[in-house]
Amino acid sequence: MHGHVSYEDFIMQVAGFLTAYYLFVAIMNAFAAYYLWQSGRAKALFRLPGSGLAVTTVHVWLLVAGVFTILSAYATNGGAAALSLSPLIRDGADWIMGPVVYSVGSLVLMGGLYLGRSFFVKPTVAWTGLNLSLLLMGLSMTDMDFASIVMKPDNVPIVAMIYLLGFFTWLSAHRAVENDARIARGEVPLEKLDDEKVLVWPDLVYTELICMIALTAVLFIWAIMLQAPLEEPASTVKTPNPSKAPWYFLGLQEMLVYYDPWMAGVVLPGVVVGGLMAIPFIDFNKRGNGYYTINERKFAYCTFQFGFLVLWVTLIVMGTFLRGPNWNFFGFYETWDAHKVEALNNVDLSQYFWVDLLQMGRPKAADDASMAVKIGYILVRESPGIMALAFYFGGGPPAMVIYSKFFREMFMRMGFVRYMVLSNLILLMALLPIKMLARWVVQMKYFISIPEYFLNF
Amino acid sequence: MADNDNLSIEEILAAARKQDGGGGDSTPAPEAAHPETPKPAAKTAAPAKPGKMSVADMLAAARSGDSGGGASESEGATPVADKPATPAMKPGEMSVAEMLAAARGDKSSGAEKAKAAPPKKKAAAKAAPAAKEPVAAKSTGPKDTASILAAARSGTAKPGPISKAEAAARAKETGATPAKKKAVAPPMPTKPEYAKSAPVRAGASERRGFLVAATAIFAGTFFMTSSLAIGFSSLAVTMLLWVLGTARFMFPNILTEPPTKFKVGFPDDYGPGQVATKFKAQFGVWVARDEYNGQAQIYALQSVCTHLGCTPNWLEGEQKFKCPCHGSGFYKDGINFEGPAPRPLERFAIRVADDGQLEVDKSRKFKEEVGQWKDPASFVSV
Repeated sequence: MHGHVSYEDFIMQVAGFLTAYYLFVAIMNAFAAYYLWQSGRAKALFRLPGSGLAVTTVHVWLLVAGVFTILSAYATNGGAAALSLSPLIRDGADWIMGPVVYSVGSLVLMGGLYLGRSFFVKPTVAWTGLNLSLLLMGLSMTDMDFASIVMKPDNVPIVAMIYLLGFFTWLSAHRAVENDARIARGEVPLEKLDDEKVLVWPDLVYTELICMIALTAVLFIWAIMLQAPLEEPASTVKTPNPSKAPWYFLGLQEMLVYYDPWMAGVVLPGVVVGGLMAIPFIDFNKRGNGYYTINERKFAYCTFQFGFLVLWVTLIVMGTFLRGPNWNFFGFYETWDAHKVEALNNVDLSQYFWVDLLQMGRPKAADDASMAVKIGYILVRESPGIMALAFYFGGGPPAMVIYSKFFREMFMRMGFVRYMVLSNLILLMALLPIKMLARWVVQMKYFISIPEYFLNF
Repeated sequence: MADNDNLSIEEILAAARKQDGGGGDSTPAPEAAHPETPKPAAKTAAPAKPGKMSVADMLAAARSGDSGGGASESEGATPVADKPATPAMKPGEMSVAEMLAAARGDKSSGAEKAKAAPPKKKAAAKAAPAAKEPVAAKSTGPKDTASILAAARSGTAKPGPISKAEAAARAKETGATPAKKKAVAPPMPTKPEYAKSAPVRAGASERRGFLVAATAIFAGTFFMTSSLAIGFSSLAVTMLLWVLGTARFMFPNILTEPPTKFKVGFPDDYGPGQVATKFKAQFGVWVARDEYNGQAQIYALQSVCTHLGCTPNWLEGEQKFKCPCHGSGFYKDGINFEGPAPRPLERFAIRVADDGQLEVDKSRKFKEEVGQWKDPASFVSV
């Protein structure tokens, strides 16, 4: 879309989409209002002075539906260009947005959502958030750079999946918070109230059939509406720029930026799989079986959501929307400039230690030295990184036991082996964001860098 | 259409009759149909249309073939329709037609019915059990005509269906099975003088003897063992062929690699600090002239990223090689400085050929991190 289409033409193209989009949001809100009205779940907010008429949430969502309908009509009548964020906001967002802000920001956001979960799981709050995000999305669509990334046939399903993921995360948290409140009051969880078994036929099979038909229909529509993004024939001497993995591997591709291929491509995925398989052996918490809960499984819930949402989903989003040509970082509203110059000079830890700190050259064996001497020199050269990692993995677990009451109790219950497996898995998981931050903040490349034997960590 | 069925019934009936010695030959079915005709056999002996032949016709045809005018000495004109009423008759004396008629007569006494009987084996089989009933009370399930007839004729036989093996055994006992004609091969003509082979030398015969023995042993073990062994052996042979074919597939008859040695122009073509990207598309090589360790050199860098093998691009504006996959960056001399690439780009061997042109040899590589760039084969000094 860049470069070939003028902004006016682009607005013409996007106006039709925005009309349908805003109309869809309006209908969505109208349905919500109708549902609240019919089910009697509407909450009275305040009473209009004088008439005594109670204003409920139904009125609010009807009003929102009306506003979106007006936006839809406005977009279709040439006002689409006006329905956009101000350039100041967009530039500011691009300027602020960087790898550090994005990663730390998403971590902080998740933490905030977790801590304030009893507030955010309220349907009204969640619905408000959904409306706001859809409005922000609509306002951003008039930006050419944003639209060109989001409307790429590859990326449309990813956008849809972000909303889907948000919905299901919210749903589980909603049930969990409700269950936690019930348990705190001494009642049984919701799932235990209705313990009646259902039949495979017809209950399950009907559901599956309907899901199957609906999914097939979605696939048909998807295949018809979005053309397959075919590219030129593959060539060994020409790599597309940027060259992106399938969306589900973009987290791995992002990891590959910080680790050696054998580490990010083989060892870490293997540890992820092995660690997931180890969960039944290291999880001694028997509660939370068969019902949603957060309070009874705080550690497991936080660890999983950190590994999944922060270390996997946000990396996929980053790889999909924020990585441009030459794998440079671009903000949401930034043009993908293949010649964007970024100072990314990064340096190994041994360089920092020997050259910058000790003001001397890195230890280097003579060219004609024997193999053993050369290896000895390499080990001396990389000793800072080796010692740092040994301290991290060797000293981390006992330090956790000493300084954290939680891990101390865990150690008492689990025994040495199980505790070491658990703590090392957690430390390894935490090392990924630590290494990413070290790369971004202090240009740290590898803790241990032995390119002679393809060993880099 | 019904040729085979007809033939088989015919044969069966003929065989059954022979067993009887022809004495039992009696009223042919056609007589039942046309009681006035004295010699129906001669009439029906003429080949009728197979599809339209009734059982009676076939019987008559069979008889005329076997015993010629034997039909005439039978009870002749007596309508067969009367016969089924006399079950006391010995089975051995019953003619085929009688038995069939008896079977039929159970339900209808009309002789006309015999004429309408279809020439199907099935129909005969259906009718036959009924014929048996007067002889012996029990009958179980459908039987084939031959067994019924044989049982009916040999008084001792148990009623009911018999298996092929049983039938064979019985036939052996009675020894009445029609002996098959033995094929007698005519004597081979003696070989003419010129066709006789020359005497074989001793060595060759030994070799051949070995071959013969090996083949015999192989074939012996092969065919003496069970069918499973044969099956698995064939499978193993097929698999082996498949593996060999796959291995062959890995070595196609074409050479897709470009030549490993190629000329890249004269040293003077390269100005200081220049990177030639024109050889990248065909050979995957950048030829550059720059300083390395304070020495002006021309060198050939392989255009493969040392991180994961993508193809970096030369960015003239930034004076660096930049990989699109994970953002690794390399200086003009190939040293890595940003992104995850753990080591510098690799050099190919380069030299000045006899004609004064630079020649790159892709069969030899030089790695910086192990000090191979000091090798004079990895650059051309300028």
